[in-house]
Amino acid sequence: MSAAMKNDNIVVRSLAQIGDCALFLLRMLAAVPRSMRHWRETVRQLWFVGAMSLIIIMVCGLFVGMVLGLQLYDVLSIFGGTSATGTVVAIAIYRELGPVVTALLFAGRAGTSVTAEIGLMRATDQIAAMEMMAVDPIAYVAVPRFLAGVIAMPLLACVFCALGIFGGHLVGVSWLGIDNGTFWSNMTATVEVVKDVINGVIWKSVVFGIVVSLIAVFQGYTTPPTSEGVAYATTRTVVASSIAILALDFVLTAFLM
Amino acid sequence: MSQRQSYAVGTGLFIALGFAALGYLATQTTSVANSSRGPSYTVEAHFANIGQLKERAPVKVAGVRIGQVQSIVLDPGKETADVKLSIDKRYDQIPDNSVATIFTSGLLGDQYVGLQYGNSKKSLADGGTLALTRPAQQLEEMLGKFFGAGGVADNLGGSYSVKGRFTNVGSLSVGAPVKMAGVAIGTVQSIQADPVKLDAEVTLSIDKRYDQIPDDSAAAVFTSGLIGTQYVAIQPGGSPDMLKNGDELVLTQSAMQIEDLIGKFLVSGSPSAKPADGGKTDGDKH
Repeated sequence: MSAAMKNDNIVVRSLAQIGDCALFLLRMLAAVPRSMRHWRETVRQLWFVGAMSLIIIMVCGLFVGMVLGLQLYDVLSIFGGTSATGTVVAIAIYRELGPVVTALLFAGRAGTSVTAEIGLMRATDQIAAMEMMAVDPIAYVAVPRFLAGVIAMPLLACVFCALGIFGGHLVGVSWLGIDNGTFWSNMTATVEVVKDVINGVIWKSVVFGIVVSLIAVFQGYTTPPTSEGVAYATTRTVVASSIAILALDFVLTAFLM
Repeated sequence: MSQRQSYAVGTGLFIALGFAALGYLATQTTSVANSSRGPSYTVEAHFANIGQLKERAPVKVAGVRIGQVQSIVLDPGKETADVKLSIDKRYDQIPDNSVATIFTSGLLGDQYVGLQYGNSKKSLADGGTLALTRPAQQLEEMLGKFFGAGGVADNLGGSYSVKGRFTNVGSLSVGAPVKMAGVAIGTVQSIQADPVKLDAEVTLSIDKRYDQIPDDSAAAVFTSGLIGTQYVAIQPGGSPDMLKNGDELVLTQSAMQIEDLIGKFLVSGSPSAKPADGGKTDGDKH
């Protein structure tokens, strides 16, 4: 890290960041067995990054589903195909919007606070104090937050998708008058468990959970111990997570299709 | 301690909610919801053409789903598809002379098997066969029937070829109809550029039934409608001799290019209007 900071070349610096990040991931994975002693901390973090993110995820899922229903009904009515609204809402949410929007919201809601919290711990020497007390900060601070993010992301994505379907149903069936049976039967006729729910929602969101949590914890853990450094680290978490999510989304889609 | 308890309970609730959502997504909104619940029995139907029918497509009676397509295989040694239908045990009163038809839901929708009840007293049993089937209606065929009157002539009675030379065939394509009095009497067989005469040599294949066409008839490339496809129209002449195989149509009229037409239309009269006159005085002159 310090060697990378001195070098001005942006390519070398980025490469060093990625390498540091990967090494940090390995250190965390190695510390997972040790962190099992602190499982209560993992539960507390799961509460913080998962359960506390529920409201924003649910509200956003509902509105994404509603706006999809509205837009699709408008376009599909040109072709007399409004009965496909449910299908397209479900497929769009499962394959793309569910995992991606959840991950972006997760990075903004949970990732930033994780970065800021760990960064402030670093800036106020709490992490150094832990090392002094022979408490492994990786096992006690980093791993619980990382694991909590990885567990929370797919669950949040599922909640997002369910609310999205509900929103699409609300607009399509309750407001715009698509037949309820048509809505569901077309959806169930087209959407597949493995391709859409498992590959689309679960795998994508697990990968996004790993990436976002890794970036958030890493940025917090390696932040320069100043208030400015914490601010930069928080910003970088959002920027790097967003880019990583959208780029990985393309790669994952290409592989999982 | 109570603080920690509330964390644990809330986290547990969150995990339970997440898994409940997953279960809901997986079972209620996907094809799993369609997999037949409860006992079912299987009947066979042989279709000449299944179109886009897929496995797990619904089987419906009067629009109500009673089962699904279990498998689709080609009958060994025959040109028919063997479709196995898995029908819910609750619906075991289907007459054994019912007609199975492949329908399409909507114009672009998925295809499903519809059963129309016959009048037999006997019901279909497990492993039974629906003898009466109607294959999928191919959209192309339907459109063909619809627009086909005057479309492409069927070449059942054989045909003979005549040639025509056009300075411009426009976007005439091979297979385009040849029409006389609006009725299709043949097709365009080939279009070739003549490297010496620098025009297009079009070979027309005309149905043998129409062998009374005077040999001084004219051929013209017309367009059906404003943006329609182009076809060759034969305008009969007055000669007592008839066109024979290999003859050439001497009188031809090339395709009208819409650019030319518009150009003629816009440009006519423009030579008198000099640009130097300016726009304002232009109106006064007229």
